[in-house]
Amino acid sequence: MIAVKLIPHLLAALCLLLVLLRCFASRRKSVLLTSVCGLSAGAFTVLLLRSMPVVSPYLLLKSLLGVGFLALWGVSVAVNYRKNAVALDKNEGGIVSSVAALAGTLLAAFAAGGIAIAKLSDTALATFPPVLLLLVVVIVAVIVGGGATFLEKQLSPRVTITPVGMVVAVVALLLFSASSILRLDLFSPLSMKVMKGVHDLVHQSMESVLIPDHVFVRPVVWKYIGFLFGKEVGFWGGMVIWFTPPVLIALAVSSRKLPSVGHIRQGAQRRKLLAGALREQRLQLLLPLFSLCVLAGAAYQSSFPTVEYWDPKPIPVVANEGGMIILPKKGDILLEDGKIHKYLFKQKEREARFFVLLTPDGQLTVDLDACAICKPDGYGQAEGSVICYYCKTLIPLDTVGKPGGCNPVPIPFTVKDDAVVIDALTLINTWGATVQATTRVKEGGK
Amino acid sequence: MKRVIGLLSAASTSPAVTPIVIGLFFILYIVVAFFTDETLIALMELTRKSIILTTLLALIPLGCLCRMVQDIRRYLTLRRCRGGDVAAVATELFDETVELSPQSGFSALEGHLQALGYRTGQQSGVLSAWRGVSLLPAQLLFTAALGCFFTGVILTTTLRSSDRRMIIEGESMPTPGGGGGIVERISLSPSTGAILAKELTMEVGGASAGQRKELFGLYPPSLHGGAFVYPRYIGISLHVRFFSPEIQSGYENHYTLNTFPPGKEDSAVIPGTPYRVIFSIPQVESGTDRYIAYMTGKFPLQFKLLKGSEAIFTGSADVGSNFTKEGYRLELLDARRLVVTDFIRDYGVFFIWAAGILLIAGGCVWVPIRLFFPRQEMVLLVEAGQFRASSRAEGRSRAHAELFHETLDFAEGAATGGSER
Repeated sequence: MIAVKLIPHLLAALCLLLVLLRCFASRRKSVLLTSVCGLSAGAFTVLLLRSMPVVSPYLLLKSLLGVGFLALWGVSVAVNYRKNAVALDKNEGGIVSSVAALAGTLLAAFAAGGIAIAKLSDTALATFPPVLLLLVVVIVAVIVGGGATFLEKQLSPRVTITPVGMVVAVVALLLFSASSILRLDLFSPLSMKVMKGVHDLVHQSMESVLIPDHVFVRPVVWKYIGFLFGKEVGFWGGMVIWFTPPVLIALAVSSRKLPSVGHIRQGAQRRKLLAGALREQRLQLLLPLFSLCVLAGAAYQSSFPTVEYWDPKPIPVVANEGGMIILPKKGDILLEDGKIHKYLFKQKEREARFFVLLTPDGQLTVDLDACAICKPDGYGQAEGSVICYYCKTLIPLDTVGKPGGCNPVPIPFTVKDDAVVIDALTLINTWGATVQATTRVKEGGK
Repeated sequence: MKRVIGLLSAASTSPAVTPIVIGLFFILYIVVAFFTDETLIALMELTRKSIILTTLLALIPLGCLCRMVQDIRRYLTLRRCRGGDVAAVATELFDETVELSPQSGFSALEGHLQALGYRTGQQSGVLSAWRGVSLLPAQLLFTAALGCFFTGVILTTTLRSSDRRMIIEGESMPTPGGGGGIVERISLSPSTGAILAKELTMEVGGASAGQRKELFGLYPPSLHGGAFVYPRYIGISLHVRFFSPEIQSGYENHYTLNTFPPGKEDSAVIPGTPYRVIFSIPQVESGTDRYIAYMTGKFPLQFKLLKGSEAIFTGSADVGSNFTKEGYRLELLDARRLVVTDFIRDYGVFFIWAAGILLIAGGCVWVPIRLFFPRQEMVLLVEAGQFRASSRAEGRSRAHAELFHETLDFAEGAATGGSER
């Protein structure tokens, strides 16, 4: 089972090493050694940090991925402005020195190793004695390195990889590998940030040019404006940001100036030279196009995760004569078992959905099954976090109960006689205000 | 010194300035996002307070201006090339420049180029051929639009000031400087426009004798005393008197209530007591216009009296009447329409509007030219016994390059007395 879970990550690592080996073909041995060391070091570091509560290995890896993605953006813009500069194509000396090549290889392999081991749950890892685990990690890294070397030797010598092509492929493969792990995925948080960013930008733009509020605007026009505030814009905006770097690189390659043939007076020779240059250009397009496919796979994995969430059906509850909802801590449901317990409170035509949860620091919290930003699609519980179903943002369990962002909206409550007591009016009013506000956001309200 | 000026000139006209500045702001946005959910507002505030960030942003309009100057100079140089100015023919102006063996004359070449569909001109050792229309006007419009937009953004971010006031029927226009005329009427009527559903008109009498009546609408917003009058929300100003068993003498006050559109609730708190009255304009029946009641100025009000969280009674009454129940009495003495209005001093708005117009104009020029008549040029000259040919294209460059190479073959063939392909 563990091996099956690791297959996509090991394949991604294999492709990554293959790209690195071909890109730095003249330094094959040192690149191979660095890659194997990097893979093992990444895995060891994540294993070590998982046992220490102070530093989160996920934060480290996610930061590394974020920086990598930003660097890819930088490279793609730079390569468009310098598309005719020969230096960017060269992978020998000059632009990419030996030190930079090895440092880049180490970093990429480190991230790949770390991501692969992060896929395994604590329970799965606990089945191995530590020494055996470390041995297995090293053996797997050596096998991946050996496999990449073997495949690289089978590749046609005509296939050359430029540093720019290498960067785009490496970052795409790392993002693909990370996208199947909720806590490392970048695409969903990116979509969420885009949704919020677009909302703020449109709102501020409308304020800047003094456009009247929705009360005065035709509903059909507002419907179109309201589209800009929806989840779909977040998704498609995220897709644009996600795919733009490889597209820019592909554009830079395809719009690169062809060699000057004006001095050649034989038409056939001119055409031959140009055809050769075009063929080389098309070969250079392969990696950006491959990266596009890999990134599409990452976006798909992120949008349709295979993780199963704990999402119990809300239990209907009523308030007593004093308007209080009383939930016993023990009984059919154990409120302090660390799982989300959802409830539904109805009062005439109004209703509110909420949950009770014991956070990892041992505190009970009562929250709406909705946040102050998104449509109230509710939350599901995964390992160490809850996820907002609307925007797919992960909320670490230890921050549930704290207001702000996409966190569930907390509800005041008291604990009396081994029961959680909630004021029904406060609950229904908070739900009403939250849902009204988020619906206004959906409708493009300001 | 010359080198420094050259470097500065290259930096200011570089097309990389805009993406670099936007990229830096994007990175800053990401950093700010770690600390607050209101990222854009925080970033705008940061830019407003920081001279460094404002200067950084100002590099974009400055760069646009420099690029416009550079584009015009480049265009004029190209014109001089075509006019026979040999000294103006510089390699960097063209996509490709080729040197060939000396030619005896251009007459055969000129005929060849005309046959290919180029217009030609020959002056003092320079043969120029061209077809299509230059994209310079579109390019200038786009660059100006970009410059205007960022100038507007800078002005709006750094200098915008906003002052929110209530404009109430029958009262003085609450302008920030004071001395506004009486608001004679606020009317809301259906609009025939494609964008706006309603037309809001605020009629304000002259502040002093001889001053004309002023009308303020929705869009484009009118200027009053140098500030834009930006209507935000509408509601009612309600004059209420309230009696309860504990308040026998009654409590009287004016409330401004944000109760529009009908159905929206707003509350009036009776200070020093646990009482709170929640008001709303009743929803009209489905299928009818929910704005009608407010437009006529004659609307009933729904209310709910709360004592703490306990509801005492609910009811509805017309403005001017009263409601009595179980020792409580609510008198709705008067209700007037009001508009919550921002008085905004912001000259960046003009630049942003101008940017929009320039962008649309640029697009209208660029699309047909780029698609159907892109500029393609060749300049052939004889200088010091050397034959030099240059070519550039603003669109369909590969087809043009092919014709350019054929022309060079033709010229070489003519010079050597044969034709070799």
